[in-house]
Amino acid sequence: MTALGAGRAALALAVLMAGAALAAPAPEAGYGLPRDVSVDGFRIDELIHFTLAAITVIFVVVAAVMIWSFVNHRRDRPAFYSHGTGRSIGVVVGGVAVILVGVDGYLFVHTLGDIHGYFWNFPRAEAAEGAVRIEVNAHQWSWNARYAGADGKFGTPDDIVSVDDLRVPVGVPVIVQLASTDVIHSMYLPNFRVKQDAVPGTITRLTFQAKVPGEYEIACAQHCGPNHYKMRGVLTVLAADAFRQWLAEAGDDARRGYDPEDAEAHWGWEWRRLEP
Amino acid sequence: MSTAQALAEAAQPIHPPPTSFWRQYVFSIDHKVIGKQFLWAGLLFLLVGGTLAMLIRWQWAFPYRPVPVLGQVFLGKSGGVIGPATYQQIFTTHGLVMIFFAVTPVLIGCFGNFLIPLMIGARDMAFPKLNMYSFWTFLLSQLLVLASFLTDLGSAGAGWTTSPPLSTNVGTPGLGQTLVVAAIFVTGVSSTMGAINYVTTVIRLRAPGMGYMRLPLTIWGIWLTAILNALFVPVLGSAALLLLLDRNFGTQFFVAGASAVRGGGDPILFQHLFWIFGHPEVYILILPAWGILGDVLPFFARKPHHWYKGTVLAMVIVTVLSAMVYGHHMFMTGMSPLLGEGFMLFTLLISAPSMVVVLNWVLTLWRGSLRFDTPMLFALATMFVFGVGGLTGLFLADISMDLYLHDTMFVVGHFHFTMAAASFLAAMTGIYFWFPKIFGRKLDERLGKAHFWFTFVGITLVFGGQLLAGYAGQQRRLFDPFQYTFIQQLRGLNRWTSFFAFALFAGQFIFVWNFFKTLFGKVASAGANPWEVTTLEWTATGTPPPFHNFDRIPEVVRGPHEFSNPEVRRLTGRDFAGQAEVLPGGGERGLAAAKG
Repeated sequence: MTALGAGRAALALAVLMAGAALAAPAPEAGYGLPRDVSVDGFRIDELIHFTLAAITVIFVVVAAVMIWSFVNHRRDRPAFYSHGTGRSIGVVVGGVAVILVGVDGYLFVHTLGDIHGYFWNFPRAEAAEGAVRIEVNAHQWSWNARYAGADGKFGTPDDIVSVDDLRVPVGVPVIVQLASTDVIHSMYLPNFRVKQDAVPGTITRLTFQAKVPGEYEIACAQHCGPNHYKMRGVLTVLAADAFRQWLAEAGDDARRGYDPEDAEAHWGWEWRRLEP
Repeated sequence: MSTAQALAEAAQPIHPPPTSFWRQYVFSIDHKVIGKQFLWAGLLFLLVGGTLAMLIRWQWAFPYRPVPVLGQVFLGKSGGVIGPATYQQIFTTHGLVMIFFAVTPVLIGCFGNFLIPLMIGARDMAFPKLNMYSFWTFLLSQLLVLASFLTDLGSAGAGWTTSPPLSTNVGTPGLGQTLVVAAIFVTGVSSTMGAINYVTTVIRLRAPGMGYMRLPLTIWGIWLTAILNALFVPVLGSAALLLLLDRNFGTQFFVAGASAVRGGGDPILFQHLFWIFGHPEVYILILPAWGILGDVLPFFARKPHHWYKGTVLAMVIVTVLSAMVYGHHMFMTGMSPLLGEGFMLFTLLISAPSMVVVLNWVLTLWRGSLRFDTPMLFALATMFVFGVGGLTGLFLADISMDLYLHDTMFVVGHFHFTMAAASFLAAMTGIYFWFPKIFGRKLDERLGKAHFWFTFVGITLVFGGQLLAGYAGQQRRLFDPFQYTFIQQLRGLNRWTSFFAFALFAGQFIFVWNFFKTLFGKVASAGANPWEVTTLEWTATGTPPPFHNFDRIPEVVRGPHEFSNPEVRRLTGRDFAGQAEVLPGGGERGLAAAKG
């Protein structure tokens, strides 16, 4: 086989494998970040990669200076007597200033943009056409979810209620309002790079936008009792049509199955709107 | 004798040493004995905390499998298997024991007590009896922790941060959690007593000539730590007290939501109280470590500390900023974005003084005449792990990256590199370095170096493994991490990290052996100044120091790191000059000229 042929075969194999990987989300491989399937997750990944590069450079430079010193400045050689000269103090101050502006400053500015523009920008998500609203009630040890149903109002008979099973469509912002009935939990979506504590007595918010259909995990990130490790849910990302269809069918089922006597099932609250 | 010395002598007259056994060894008011008592208490609990860590590592490597040896002893009822309820008690008490009952007594209780009077040239602490009360109160808090394991439902299980409502009866009923919260309160009382004593002693009892800019950096570190303790431990104490009221007297300061009666309180209030103490606590543990390095590095590089004033200034700035960064522990609680951004800004800013401290260490080594004795090796390892810990902190200072990394093993790896590895290695630096002063004998160098390599390599691999697991998304505190599909592939990583942890733990027995062998074996006396260094405890008194520390209170004439000064070498033939040493033939003027 020629080199060209081998290259083509390898390419075809790679495409085939990539296709297979996309079609059926498998467990993650390797020690890197989990697969990012959100629209905005890349912003976090980029910052992580930038920071990783920056600290690697800092670490290598400082370690190199130290190792040079270990090798060359041994006890058989007299020490240079100095409490620090203007120049050496300048090296310290200058080095710190460069890192402070170049690394810390870069992170600060980018993060301000990210959280105001995307991760904590709830007015923008609320204003988006077709945004999906979900109320999640976290408790020991599961995630109860509630969709408003066809009438768009929470706390009505057509509300869709599920346990440890969230479904969202691709391409539109999802807004989750989080509450907890017992202890503090934390809703963590590793594949979407977001996380938010659920705190008893208050309602907190989380927003993200899915990009790739598939099944992903909802994890609890805050120790919440002995079975914290079992507080696992599944987030299914559906194509827009499939989601609409599911929502309609589940809404009909919910209305038919509504039981006004079942107080346990009526935990929803009126959606809290944020003033922009 | 100068007038200043005469005044100091008059203020601190020599008292006769106690003669009864109880006064000499048990209820002693001698700071040196109290320091040793803290050392024993701390090292013992270091073993307890380490054993608990091994159980956690076993669980992550071999979940649902019986723990060999330890399981039969402590978990007989379950056939040696760790269950979820036991597991949460193990990681909770591991954190609490290590922070409050192991590292704190060694770094602050032992070194603070033993070193402050000896390094500043005082006969004892300002309040010797308060010092004794501080130790016995501390011992009571340790006993409360041990007692909690014997209760029906076992010890505390709400995590070391003890966050309500999980730490109230809503989440963790039972006497065990109550006893542990009480222990936190009691140890807080002990720390506050110690802190007031340290702060006062450094301000009032410095020997004549011992200006603030001549203090050894160890004392600067311990003193700033004591200030933080005096300011913020009472806040922790009040939080613990309110939590006890919630647990036992039906109040609802921290209970909200469905469990609350008539509105209840606010769980986040506790987090504010806890973390405004909890973040300074990080610096409470690291400032003494910085201080020890600030002295040991120049001692073994035979070179003055680079830009001493810069390091002091940086440590003061860190102390001031330490309480203004705590909110980064609460980025995910739904705090106001503006508040979050403020905390993020201060957290990023606090990296500047920390970098000044580290770069000053590097430049202290540069062009030195390095002696790689065991204390120096541990000091260099402390620099390394603190560097890794500090740099990984950059990720966590940042709200965006925290959205992903918060509450993962990455956080665990980060704070183990800073709080655990750096403070533990610095404590070991101090123990190897001051052992000859505390016990009159030098620890064995060969065993010391073996212990060093086990510890340094082990610590790096174990906490590095935690960083990797967290980077891949693994949350902290999972009884069985592999319930989750997205961390399935980390099984091997977790298991390997556990093996490294077991080796690290086993390596510590080299130290135990060395410790007892040196203490009780046939070892020659170390002499007054085995390391050839400058500070008062080595140059102005004998080994071990007498009950009254100094036959005559020294008059300090120079800073703590006068090494390799050509003028000193010409006059004395040595490469160092003690802080209170008067050089022959008007050497002072020549010295000033050489320094200028």
